[in-house]
Order: sequence, then C-alpha cells, then structure tokens
Amino acid sequence: MQRPRIPPQILRLLVLTIVIVTVYSIARYFLTPQSFGMYGWYRAVALDEIAARPTTYAGRKACDECHSEVVQRLAKYEHKSVSCESCHGVGQAHAENPDVAVAKLTYSHCVRCHEADPARPKWLKQVKSKEHYTGQRCTECHIPHQPNEVP
Amino acid sequence: MIMNPQLTNSIVEILPRVEGFAYPNEATTHPLWSVLIVVYPYVTGLVAGAFIMASLVRVFNVKPLEPVYRLSLLTSLAFLLCAPLPLLFHLGHPERCFEIMMTPHLSSPMAMFGFVYAWYLMAVLLLELWFDYRKDFVEWSKAEPGLRGIIYRSFTLGVHDVSDPAVQLDARMGRIISIIGIPSAFLLHGYVGFIFGSIKANPWWGNVLMPIIFIFSAIVSGMALCVFLYMILSWARRTPIDMDCLDQMQKFLFFALVVDAAIESLDWVHRLYSADESIHILKSLAAGRLFYTLLVGQAFCGTLLPLLLLGAIQLFGRQMAVAVRQRVYLASSVLILVGVLAMRWNVVIGGQLFSKSLRGFMDYKLEFAGHEGWLASLGLLLLPFMILAVFVKLFLPLSAPPQGGGLPAMKPSGSTGAA
Repeated sequence: MQRPRIPPQILRLLVLTIVIVTVYSIARYFLTPQSFGMYGWYRAVALDEIAARPTTYAGRKACDECHSEVVQRLAKYEHKSVSCESCHGVGQAHAENPDVAVAKLTYSHCVRCHEADPARPKWLKQVKSKEHYTGQRCTECHIPHQPNEVP
Repeated sequence: MIMNPQLTNSIVEILPRVEGFAYPNEATTHPLWSVLIVVYPYVTGLVAGAFIMASLVRVFNVKPLEPVYRLSLLTSLAFLLCAPLPLLFHLGHPERCFEIMMTPHLSSPMAMFGFVYAWYLMAVLLLELWFDYRKDFVEWSKAEPGLRGIIYRSFTLGVHDVSDPAVQLDARMGRIISIIGIPSAFLLHGYVGFIFGSIKANPWWGNVLMPIIFIFSAIVSGMALCVFLYMILSWARRTPIDMDCLDQMQKFLFFALVVDAAIESLDWVHRLYSADESIHILKSLAAGRLFYTLLVGQAFCGTLLPLLLLGAIQLFGRQMAVAVRQRVYLASSVLILVGVLAMRWNVVIGGQLFSKSLRGFMDYKLEFAGHEGWLASLGLLLLPFMILAVFVKLFLPLSAPPQGGGLPAMKPSGSTGAA
C-alpha cells in the first residue's frame, strides 16, 4: 500500500514554519534577559540598577546643615512646603562639595505655579506673566523666601 | 525637579491655548498620542479593507472583481509592511521593539498586536499570495534573467511542481487561507478599535461600538483605496478600465459605506439620546475643535457626499456616460479616503482635546518637522505607495500572467477571467 505523500509545497511550508519557530525559540532563549521573571514581568537586576544610580537630590535636611537661617525663615512663609530644590535645582553634588555651584536661577520657574490657570485653586496667587510687569524679573518685586515681604 | 527654563516657559505659552478648565498636567505642548497614532489605525484599516476586497473574489466568488484581486492583496501587503512604523516612530527606541516579542505579556495590547500582526502577515497574507503566485513564480523564474529571475526563483522556495493537481491544491489552499483571513482581518483592525474602545475613562473612546466602527470604516477605506489604485494604475499603464469590475467595486463600496454610516450615526444617536454627563463636552468638541475634521471632513465630505454620489450612480448609473461614472468613482474614493483619515484624527486627537474635568479643552498644534510632525506622517503615508509601486513592477506585469492556480491580475482587456 502506498503511503499518503505530503504535497511538496505543503512540505516546504512546514519546513519553513519549523525553521521560523526554531529561530524564534533560539532568539527568545538568547535575548530574554537572565533575571527576567524572577520576581515578576521584569528584569530582577533592574531593581539593583535603579538603586545603584547616583542620587541627585540632597533633600531639605542637607540644605539645613549650612543654610539653616534661610530654611528657618522660609518655614514661616507661604513657600514653607516648597522644597529648596524645586527652585534651586538638584543639590546633591553641591551638598557633597560646596565648591560645586547649584544651578543659576532664571526665575522662569515662578510661572510653573503662578501662571494664571482656572484649574488652580483660588488661594494660590496667579498672574498672566505676559501682562504682569513684562520684562522685569519676579525678584525685583518679590522675595521668594518671604513672599509676603517686598524688597 | 530639575529646572528647565524651556519647560517652565512653555507653560506660559500653553495655558492661554487652554480653553476653560483643564488640570495642570493636561496642559502639555502635545497630546500623548500624536498624529502618528492617527496614521497607524488608518494604515492598518487600509490593510484590512484591501484584504476584504480580495476575499470577495476568493471566498464569495465575485467574478467581476477578479482584475483587482492581486492588486488588492499586494496593496494589503504593502500597507501591512508599513503598519508598525508609525508606532515605532512614536515610541522611539525602535531597536527595542523586538522585546515585546521576546517577553510578551498577555495583558499588553501592544504585545498582542505583535502576534496578531505576525499571524496576519505570515499566516494569512504572505501564504495566500504565495499560493496564488506559486505557478507564476515558477514560470517567471524560468523566463526572467538577472536579478528578477533570482527574486522569482527564491520565491518559489524550491518547489517547481506546477502539475494540474499541484495547481489545484494551491487554489484550494488559497481559498482556505482567505476564509481564515477574513476573521483575521477583522481581528487585526478590531484590535485597533478595541484599544480605544476599552479606555473607559475617556467618554469619546470608551464605547463597545468602537471596534465595529473601526472595522467598517477600515473596509470602506480599503475598498476606496483599491478603486483609487485600480483607476490610477490603469491610467498610468494606459490599459482600459474594466467597467464591470469598477461598477461592482463601487457597489460593494456603497453598501459598506451605508453600513459604516449607519453604525456611526447609531453611535451618535445613542450618545445624544442617553445624554450622559459627557455629552455637553462632546457636543462642544464636535462643534468647536473638531468642526472641520468631524462635521466638514468626516461627516460631509467623507460620508454624505460619497453616499449621494454613489447612491446616484446606483439609481441612475445606466444613463450616465462611462467617463462621468469614472470621474464620480474616482472623486468619491478620494473623498472617502480623506474622510476616513479625518475620522481617525477625530477619534485619536479628539479624545485628547478635552479635559478629564469635562469642563475645558486643550489644543494640539501639529509641528512640521520632528519625528512626530506632519512631514514624518506624510512620509509614512507615502511609503506604502512606493513599496506598492515596486510590487506592481515585480508582480503585476502588463501581460496577463500564465494561466494556472492564480487569478489573472491587471488584464488589458475588459473581459473577466476564470479562477
């Protein structure tokens, strides 16, 4: 009795399919990171990699070590809940070595909170910066550490 | 936060463009999903629609459409090859794209798209094309010298059996694959609609009708593209247009458009009648920021006008001269193509133009250059046409292909051939 013969085009496609699946499996074996899936659907070593990143923010405590007078003054005014580094930029490098200067203030960041936006709460003072003393720096009239005072 | 004057200054530019009440984190220069995410469902829809046009011949045996069978399949392939590109451009880091295939997660629509895409490309389109062209590849590989010959020889995959039983088997396999292909095409594009429809936090998107709307708009756009390409190609090659074929294509296009328009109208009727809390903002959105793209582009130019034009042909086509019919067909297919693109814009961008508060609108100013600008989008929309030009040169020769398992492609005469 003659064995049923697989048509050549079907046979060729089957071989091709097996080749594709094999290549995919091999690629998957080599390209899946070693630690993948240890804890969940991610690389476990990513946790260590993230933890090993150098810190850039120093935190208010570090500022307080040298600038306690400013920090104490700030604590009495509206900006008491604003972090030092929100305006002065990241400070870890400066905390470790005072010779490294913190970023130069441009005062453009005031509008980040104070640009007029109906979505902001009413108690937050807001201005339309394009109409509010255009061309002048905010600090000419306002003291960021003592917002209620005038210079 | 690291101070970035550019970033902080952008708030000054953005806030005046916000209308009404929008949360601060919604006031951004660009919506999260840019114009490239408009191009992506558009291109995918054209793939599915062109395939449905081809399957009308294979599965439903609509003989008059045979002259566009291969053109439709090749169109589908050319657009499918470009379908993931807008996503890769949008996400950035295209070198990492393989990772979703290496460690796919079942809850990730993006990863599932990888498999749906691979299935549709390799198990449906390429297979159907291969079975359809196999006999021609064998004959062309013998007749053509040089690079073309090498290309055809490699596409035979080393199988040179073109005996009658082998060719009959090819035809049978092609039909089976085409039958599998219809739900696959629905799956491919239904998935795109599902991505939007499943976002229940957004009233513009979260809608069970969304996958169905996407499927039908895809069919309409794909068919319109086939009409457009068939006419342009015939004119370019100076071959007479088979009016039987064109009339039949337009008939299907008209019926698909009727269903599509009905479902999209149903969606609006349902929204307006149920009038949930979001209806006011959606009405303002339609009449305001989306006025030109939704009411003018999608509803009037892309739906109503083609419906009237094609409807008139259905009623009075017999009295119209062939040249008039052809112009109406070309105009309506272009209108539909633009209308469906406008529909994709309305869905993708429209859904990101209103605030989550339902009390305000954001703005989207499309940039010119940049990897998410309109120049990049235009390039991504033109690329499939360039690929298709190569396919047409290679796989749709002017002379009728040898008789066999495949269906005749662009035939110089107006007659119709047998499968």
